[in-house]
Amino acid sequence: MSSRYLIQGMTVLFVFLILASGCARKIVRPDAVPQPGFVGPQVGGPVLEHELQVVQTNLQPIYFDYDGYTLSPEAQAALQHNAEILKRAPQVAVVAEGHCDERGTAEYNLALGDRRARSSVEYLATAGIAPNRLSTVSYGSELPVDPAHNEGAWAKNRRVYLRVSR
Amino acid sequence: MKHNVAEGNHRGKLPRDLTGKILPSPDRVTAKGDGKVRFTPFRVQVSKLAPVPRAPACAPKKWADIPRPAGSALTEVPMLRVGKRIRISTLSFLLCFLSFLSIAFPSHVHCKLLLDLENPNMAKMPIAVPDFVPQGAGALNGRELARIIRNDLYLTGLFDIVESSPPNPQNPADPPDFDAWSQTGAQALILGRFQVRGDEWVLEAMLYDVALKKLELGKRFSGRINDHRIMIHKFGDRVMEKLTNIPGCFTTQIAFVSDGQSREIFTMDFDGHNLRQLTQTGSINLSPEWSPDGRGIIFTSYLNRKPDLWALDFASLRPYVISARPGLNASGRYSSDGKNIALSMSFNGTPNIFIITPQGNIIKRLTSGRGNDISPTWSPDGSAVAYVSDQAGTPQIYIMPVNGGEARRLTLQGNYNTDPKWSPRGDFLAFTARIEGRFQICTIKPDGKDLRVLTKTGSNRDPTWSPDGRMIAFQSDRDGKKLIYVMDARGETQVPVSPVTGKAPAWSRTGR
Repeated sequence: MSSRYLIQGMTVLFVFLILASGCARKIVRPDAVPQPGFVGPQVGGPVLEHELQVVQTNLQPIYFDYDGYTLSPEAQAALQHNAEILKRAPQVAVVAEGHCDERGTAEYNLALGDRRARSSVEYLATAGIAPNRLSTVSYGSELPVDPAHNEGAWAKNRRVYLRVSR
Repeated sequence: MKHNVAEGNHRGKLPRDLTGKILPSPDRVTAKGDGKVRFTPFRVQVSKLAPVPRAPACAPKKWADIPRPAGSALTEVPMLRVGKRIRISTLSFLLCFLSFLSIAFPSHVHCKLLLDLENPNMAKMPIAVPDFVPQGAGALNGRELARIIRNDLYLTGLFDIVESSPPNPQNPADPPDFDAWSQTGAQALILGRFQVRGDEWVLEAMLYDVALKKLELGKRFSGRINDHRIMIHKFGDRVMEKLTNIPGCFTTQIAFVSDGQSREIFTMDFDGHNLRQLTQTGSINLSPEWSPDGRGIIFTSYLNRKPDLWALDFASLRPYVISARPGLNASGRYSSDGKNIALSMSFNGTPNIFIITPQGNIIKRLTSGRGNDISPTWSPDGSAVAYVSDQAGTPQIYIMPVNGGEARRLTLQGNYNTDPKWSPRGDFLAFTARIEGRFQICTIKPDGKDLRVLTKTGSNRDPTWSPDGRMIAFQSDRDGKKLIYVMDARGETQVPVSPVTGKAPAWSRTGR
């Protein structure tokens, strides 16, 4: 019994630390997407909704270099973190949404976003997440999280966002 | 060559009014069972046309030297397919103006007005299009009407529009004062006069060779006022045919994706008018492409929350799925015969180019490299597909023969070349290149030679060719907003046309 409480307590503390430390990346919540209605599956259901939200909140975006789809050490660290969270929530599936910044042409960005999502999913699979829980969708540069036209916005927009579902 | 003709009073008799009394009767319009209005050619009999006294004697030798099918100016059958209740009657008749007195000016001795489009140093033709002349009151404005065809001709990049204009003749039925027009520098002259009757109108439009003082083309149109733009575009197509030997494409349309809060597909006339929203899905829609017969479009849509290839028939306006395999089903492009669609699909792991039927069945896998392959474009003869691949580290354009063979890299300069579009004439590919951090529209020959950068300001992307291969539409942000622009294939005239922000323009291959 005590060990179970300990694990639960550790988890809560872990979540709290992530949220409080300020090092957590900006998480794109479904309601924070600039153009509602474009986003993927809207999760529903009263039972697991809260758990899904907790998992969603704790997943980190994976960021990429300009024109790139290889995983930087930071991206690998974020994916490792995400893999640990997903291991603790085996009932949760994720869609890896690949995004690009606006400094590209739209169709090539679709391919680039597809590749970014795929490289993220491959990492998660290697880290032990069952492939049947993982899928990808590329949005190219159609859904920037930050619509500004500067380095900061571009860096935020070159991302893979893991969206949870059941 | 001198013609000592006595006096210029053998001027061709133009149709004097809009009642059609001295005009050949209009083409017969027959309504077939499907409700479409069709046009049967009016059988032209030269003898029925306005009598031209001593016409053969007046034919200038240069003009006569030019081989033409007999009566070609008379028997043109209008290529009307869509316009409702538009009647065109050929009122052109080979009126030879006998007044070649001013032959004293050597510049007046010249060949038929014709733009040599194959000549890279071709000079633009000065053309005057004064305001159309109303005959009676009505809802249409002669200045606006003339502006339609003036803009059509300007956008081709082949003409200099002459702004100055001598006063109209006292009697509108009189032929123009060619000497006065000649002094404005105009080589060609388009005159129009029109009459409004209720919700219909009648237009008579004429194209003159100013130096030869000769009517090259005369058309009489009648139709609904609501169709007035397309009627004038149709005359513009004929003017282009007269002056370049190739009909214009002023009745074609451009589809594009809205670039604001939504990603819906719109269509507009090539000059930006007649904007219509085609999709209202609330999802992301991308990469529209017209079917070669003009009956519908295909596009990439996230209607099912992932990028699938969809089609939309204009008849039913109901979208349906063509390909919804896992991963990408993107950038679908019809072959020119409409029997195949090339697209990029990633169900195998990486985005590769496939060829499928319009029903979505895979015919063959065209590329199998480990790079991302996207944005296919067919050669006009269907023998090859150009596409983008980053197999060498950066996105570059490759050409792959469809029936076996190795891919050949087309672009060797720069580190970002995307969006290839093969010209319908086959002579060039347009594409988007990243140059000094911005995107520019370029053209290159299929053998990799003759690379030209056509745009210089702002970022410019998504080129698409007009069906005659003479113009390119693209997206530019040069003036702050992302608008669809149209330019000639040499990039000399670049004009924003879309009334709203947009991207991914696709030029239709058929006229309205």
